[in-house]
Amino acid sequence: MKRYYILTAFLLFFVVVSTGMAQDSKVTVPLRFDHYYPYEQVVAALKALNKAYPSLTHLNLVGHSEENRQIWAITINNPKTGKESDKPGVYVDGNIHGNEIQASEVCLYFVNYLLTNYGKNDKITKLVDKNAYYVIPTVNVDGRYHFFHDANTPSTNRGLRRPKDDDHDGLVNEDFPDDLDGDGNICIMRKRDPNGKYKTDPEDARLMIRVKPGEKGEWTILGQEGIDNDGDGRINEDAEGYVDPNRNWGYNWAPPYVQSGAGDYPFSGLGIKAIAKFILDRPNIIMVWAFHNNGGMILRGPSTKAEGKLNTSDISVYDYLGKNGEKIVPGYRYLISWKDLYSTYGDFTDFTDNIVGAYSLVGELFRTADETYSKPGKTSGGDDEIFGGSSNERSRERLKFNDHLAMGELYKPWTPFHHPVYGDIEIGGWVKMSSRLPHPFMLEDLVHRNASAVIFSAEQTPEIKMEVTGKKKTGKNLYQIRIRLTNSKAMPSMTYHSVKKKAYPMDMLKVLGTQVKVVAGGKLVNEYTGQTNYKKYKPEVQFVQVPGFGKTDYQFLVEGKGTVTILFESRKAGKKTVTFKL
Amino acid sequence: MRILTLGVPKVVSGVFLFLIVSLYLHAQPGGYYTPAETVRIINDLAKKNPDVTRVVTLATTPGKNPVILLEIGKETGRQTRTLPALLVVGNPEGDVPIATSAALYLAGSVLKDPARYEHLTWYIIPALNPDAEAFFTGTPKYRDQRNAQPHNDDMDDLTDEDGCNDLDGNGIITMMRVKDPEGQWIAIKDDPRIMRKANPSKGEKGVYKLYTEGIDDDGDGKYNEDGPGGTNVGINFPHLFKPFTASGGRWPGSAPESFALLKFAAGHPEIAMSMVYGSSDFCLVPPKKGRKGSVDMNKIKVPENMAGMIGADPDKTYSMKELIKMVQPMAPPGFEIDESVIASFLGLGAVVNPLDEDLKFYKELSEQYKKYLKDKGMEAERLDPAAAKDGSVELWAYYHLGLPSFSMDFWTLPKPKKEKKESGGLTIDQLEKMSKEDFLALDEEKIAAFLKENGAPAQFKAANVINMIKSGQVSPKQMASMMKQMPKKEKEEGEADPKTKALIAFSDSNLNGNGYLPWKPFKHPTLGEVEIGGAVPYADNTPPPGMVDSLLKIQVPWIFTLADKLPSLSLLDTKVTPKGGGVYALELWVENKGYLPYPTAMGKRDKHPGPVVVTIDGNNLTFLEGRKRTPVQTVAGLKAVKLSWLIQSEKPGTLNISLTSPSAGSDRKQIKIGG
Repeated sequence: MKRYYILTAFLLFFVVVSTGMAQDSKVTVPLRFDHYYPYEQVVAALKALNKAYPSLTHLNLVGHSEENRQIWAITINNPKTGKESDKPGVYVDGNIHGNEIQASEVCLYFVNYLLTNYGKNDKITKLVDKNAYYVIPTVNVDGRYHFFHDANTPSTNRGLRRPKDDDHDGLVNEDFPDDLDGDGNICIMRKRDPNGKYKTDPEDARLMIRVKPGEKGEWTILGQEGIDNDGDGRINEDAEGYVDPNRNWGYNWAPPYVQSGAGDYPFSGLGIKAIAKFILDRPNIIMVWAFHNNGGMILRGPSTKAEGKLNTSDISVYDYLGKNGEKIVPGYRYLISWKDLYSTYGDFTDFTDNIVGAYSLVGELFRTADETYSKPGKTSGGDDEIFGGSSNERSRERLKFNDHLAMGELYKPWTPFHHPVYGDIEIGGWVKMSSRLPHPFMLEDLVHRNASAVIFSAEQTPEIKMEVTGKKKTGKNLYQIRIRLTNSKAMPSMTYHSVKKKAYPMDMLKVLGTQVKVVAGGKLVNEYTGQTNYKKYKPEVQFVQVPGFGKTDYQFLVEGKGTVTILFESRKAGKKTVTFKL
Repeated sequence: MRILTLGVPKVVSGVFLFLIVSLYLHAQPGGYYTPAETVRIINDLAKKNPDVTRVVTLATTPGKNPVILLEIGKETGRQTRTLPALLVVGNPEGDVPIATSAALYLAGSVLKDPARYEHLTWYIIPALNPDAEAFFTGTPKYRDQRNAQPHNDDMDDLTDEDGCNDLDGNGIITMMRVKDPEGQWIAIKDDPRIMRKANPSKGEKGVYKLYTEGIDDDGDGKYNEDGPGGTNVGINFPHLFKPFTASGGRWPGSAPESFALLKFAAGHPEIAMSMVYGSSDFCLVPPKKGRKGSVDMNKIKVPENMAGMIGADPDKTYSMKELIKMVQPMAPPGFEIDESVIASFLGLGAVVNPLDEDLKFYKELSEQYKKYLKDKGMEAERLDPAAAKDGSVELWAYYHLGLPSFSMDFWTLPKPKKEKKESGGLTIDQLEKMSKEDFLALDEEKIAAFLKENGAPAQFKAANVINMIKSGQVSPKQMASMMKQMPKKEKEEGEADPKTKALIAFSDSNLNGNGYLPWKPFKHPTLGEVEIGGAVPYADNTPPPGMVDSLLKIQVPWIFTLADKLPSLSLLDTKVTPKGGGVYALELWVENKGYLPYPTAMGKRDKHPGPVVVTIDGNNLTFLEGRKRTPVQTVAGLKAVKLSWLIQSEKPGTLNISLTSPSAGSDRKQIKIGG
C-alpha cells in the first residue's frame, strides 16, 4: 500500500505524459456538471451564480495573474444571520496547478449546491446561515486558460507563467513541447527500431511492453511530442515556468535549489500574493480546502518532517474530518503530506494551517482505478496506479474503458508522422483530457462526493453557546458568576497550534458593566469544589479557547450592581453575549 | 538636522541645514541623519548628477517612510544592462545609524569619481528600515529594530499599548533596577554600576529586578511588553527565517521593505556583489561555519520508504552524483534530474554553512582587509562585530542569490585594556602570525596559561601542543584556527559582561560618562523606589559624531577594492585548426580576469546567476560537435576555461563570437576560418 503512495508521489512529482475541449455551452444556473469549464466560463459561472443569488453572494476581484487574467472569489454569506466576520469562515479553492482542472468544478459545484438548495434542504439552509464561505474556483487562471486552449499533456501547464530558465542555459521558456500533428494534444512519439527496448503488446497493439533480455525489440520511445525549438540538442527541455504556485507561499518556504519550482522568493507569484492578502483579510477562516488532482487522497500537514508532529488535539480534529472524508469519497485515502507523499516547502495549506490558523486539507481528486472495465470487485491492478499507465494489465483495462465507455476520446491511436529530426515516427497515447481527469460522465459523481466532504467539514466549524450557569451573592455587593461556553462541533474555537504558537490573540471572554468591578476571575477547573485558576491582572478579560465537542467554564467575582454583560469574542467562532442584572 | 551629541539632540535651523547638506555634497560626512534628511541628501545628489543617477522608491514603510534606492551608473534607467552592479543595503535592522551615514558617504564618493561607475552600476539603499531608524533621532531616544507595523507583542486584548516611558525625563530610555525579594541580579563589587546575574551555586542571592524604563501602561503586571512596532526588517529575509518570533515578521518578506528588496534583487540579475552596512562584518570576519543541520552532500541517507523505489539501500549513504544517476532513468524523457530535484524529493533542506570554496576567498580577502586597515592606522583592538543573524540580508544574499556577500559594521567599542596575564598577553591573533620557531621560543608555562585563558580542553596540555608544533603536525596558524573554533571561555565568576565593561570604559573615557548613566533614585507608581540608569541606547554601536568621518573615510573605500575583484569574463584566445574538407576544430578560452569566481560555489549550487553563454555566428556553418550557443556554468577566479567545437564551413569566412553573462561582463571577437 505504502509503495503505491510513493509511486503516486513520484507521479505527482514528475511531469508526465496527452486534448479534448469542453463544449461551448452557455452558462446558466443551476450549473451543469457534464463538461469542463474553460477559464472564461468559470468566471461566467461565478457571475451567473452571483446574479441568481444576489442577497446571499458577492464577488471579489482578488487580483491579477502574471498574464493579467482576473482571479475571482465568490463569497456566500447570509447577511440576515450576521456579518461574515462574525461567522466561521470556510475557504475552498482549486486548480492551483493549471492542469488540475476538475478542482474548479468541485468548487463551482459546491457553491452551486449550497445556493440552489438554500431554503429547500434544511441541512444546507442551516449551513449557509451558519458559516461564511469563500471560494476561489481557479487559483492558477493562466494555467487553466492555457490548459484548455493550448496543446498539452495531462500534466503540463501546471505552473505559473513566470519566465524561468529551467535548463539554466541563459534562455527562458525556449523549448516547449510542440503539437506536431495539430490535434490539440501533446502525446508520445515512438519510432520503429529493431534495437528498441519495447515491443507491441500482443494483447492490445496500442500498448508497448518492455522486451525481455535476448528478445528482439520493435520500438524506441522518443518522449513527448516536440522538436528541438532552440537547437540545443535537447527536445522540450524548457517549457512554461517553472514556478509552482503551491511552493511559493510564505510558510516554511525554501529556495529553488532546495526545491525546484519555489520561485525566487515567497509570494513572487502575483496571483498567489493577492490570494494571500484576500485570506489574511478574512481572519475568520477556520477551514480550508484546496483541491488538486490526482490519486484519490485527502491530505493533511505537516508538509515536512522537520516541522514536527501536529498538536495531538488538532490531529483528532483532522482525523475526524479525514476519516469521514474517506467514507464520503470511496477509495480516497486520508494521509499525511510529507510522510505518505513527499516533502514540500512553502505550500498553501501549510501557510493556512500555521499563519491563518485554519484546519487545512488538500483533496487529490480522481483515481484512474475508477476507470474500470470488469465485473464488480474484479478491477485489474487495483490501486496500482503508475504514471503513463505502465502497468500493462491496468493499461489494457483503461483502454477498454476508453473504447467502450469513453468511445475512444481518451487515447489517440498511433499515427504516422514525419519528424524533422527523427524521420518517420508515430504519435499516439493518452490525450490531454485523460489520465488525471474523470470522463465528463463521471464528473458529477466526483464533484458531488468531494463537495460533500467539504460540507461535512463545514458542519464541524465551531458552534458556541454561552450560558450563565451560576449567579450567587457571596458577600456585600459581591457576586459569584459562572459562565459556561459549550461547543457542539468538532473544531475548537481556535486551533491548538495557534494557541501554542501565539499566532494571534486568543479568544476573549470579557465582563462589561458600568457599575461593576471584577474582583477576580479565571478558569473554573472544578465546578464542584469551585477551584478556579484566577488571573492575577485584568480579571475582566479572560483568554479562552473553547474545545471541540466540549465546554469550558469561567468564574468571576463581581462587585457592584446593575447590568452586567458577558461578551465572548472569537476571531473564528463569532461573538456571543449574555446580559443580566445583579 | 539633528546632530548627535549623545544625550540631547540639537535642532539646527533650515539655513544651517542647507549649509551642512552642501558641505556633505562635497563628500564631507557629518554625523547622523533622520530618515527625511537621508531622502533629501540622496535626492540632492541625484539632482546634481542627473545623467548618471536615478532615485527609485522601492516601498513605503508602515510608518509612511519611503525606502529609496539610488542608482548610479552609465546605464541608469535602461532596460537592458550590460554592466555588473553592486548592491549596497544600509541599516536593515534600523538601529545602526552609522550604516546609513556610510551609505550616504559611499554615494557621495562614487559620484565624485566617474571612474567608480565607469564599469559598474551602483544600487544604494541608504536605509532599508527607516521606521526603526527614526528612533535614534526621536525623543525619547530609544533603540528598537522594528518597523511601525502594529503588532500585538503580548497577544492580549490591546495592540502596542505598553511601550517604554521616559520616567526621569532625560530624553533617553534606559533601565530601571528595583530591589525585589525575587530579584536575580546583583551589582558587581568592582563597579556597582554594573549588574550581573547572581549565581546561587556560589551562595549568591539576587537583589535586584531589572526592567526597561517605563510603567505598566495597561495594568497587566508586565512592563513595556508591547511597545509600538512590528517587524525587524533586517531579519525578515528567507535564509534560516524562523516563524513565530517576537519581531521577525510572519514570513520572509512579510514586511513591505524586505519584500521590495527581494523583488528588486530578483529583477536585477546584473547584481554581482552585495554589501550590507549593519552589525556584522564579513569583510573582517568571514561567515561562520559549524551550524548543525546541514546535510553532507556526499553522505546522503535515503529514507526507507523511498529507498526501495529507487533501488537504494537505506542503511548506506550516497553522494548526490550517485543519487542523480539512480533516479534519472526513472524520470520521464526530457525531465532532467538535478541536485534540486533530489534535494527536494528527499527533503534534504537548505545549505546552512558557507561552502569551503567560498570561505577561501572570504578568508583571503579578510586578511587583505586587516592589512589594509593596519596600513591606514586602524589598529586599535575593538569588540568583535556581531555574527550575521538568521534571516538577515547578508545571509540571504549569499545563500539564495549566490553572491559574494559582504557586510561592514564600521565600529564597535574599543576593547578595554587587559590586566597583565600570565600568558604575557599572547593572543590567538598573534599565534596565527607566528612562525614555528617563534612559538617554540615561548616558555611552556606561558603556553599553558594561554591555553587555559582561551578555554582549551584540559587534555590539551602545553607539552603536547609543543610536540605537535615541533613535529610539524600542525602549524601555529592551524593551531590558531582550531582555537578559534573552540567555544569561548566562560567569563570569570564575579566579572562583568565584557561588553558592559567596554561600554563603561568608553563612556568614562570618551563620552563624559554619558554612555552609561549612574543609577538615580526614582519613585515609580507601581514598583515604588527604583533606580534609573545604565546603558544608554546606541552608545555601544554608534561612535560620537566626531569620529564618524575618519571611520568612514578609511572603511568605506574598501568596497572599491572588493569591486575590483569582481569576476570579469572575456574571450582570451582562439585557435583554429583546419582538418581538411572545410572542417575546422575551434578552440576558445574564456578567461576570468577577476579574482572572484563566476559564480561563487553557492551560486553554482543555487543556479542563481545565469550562465555565461558563448555564441558563434557565421554564414552556412554546420556544427559537427558543439552548439551554436554554449552555456558555461563556471569560471574560477583568475582562470580560463577551454571550449571546443568541430565546425564545417564550405567557404572561408568569418566567425563572430560573442560572450554574454548576466553579471560578469561581455565580449566579442571575430576570427577568420579558411582562406
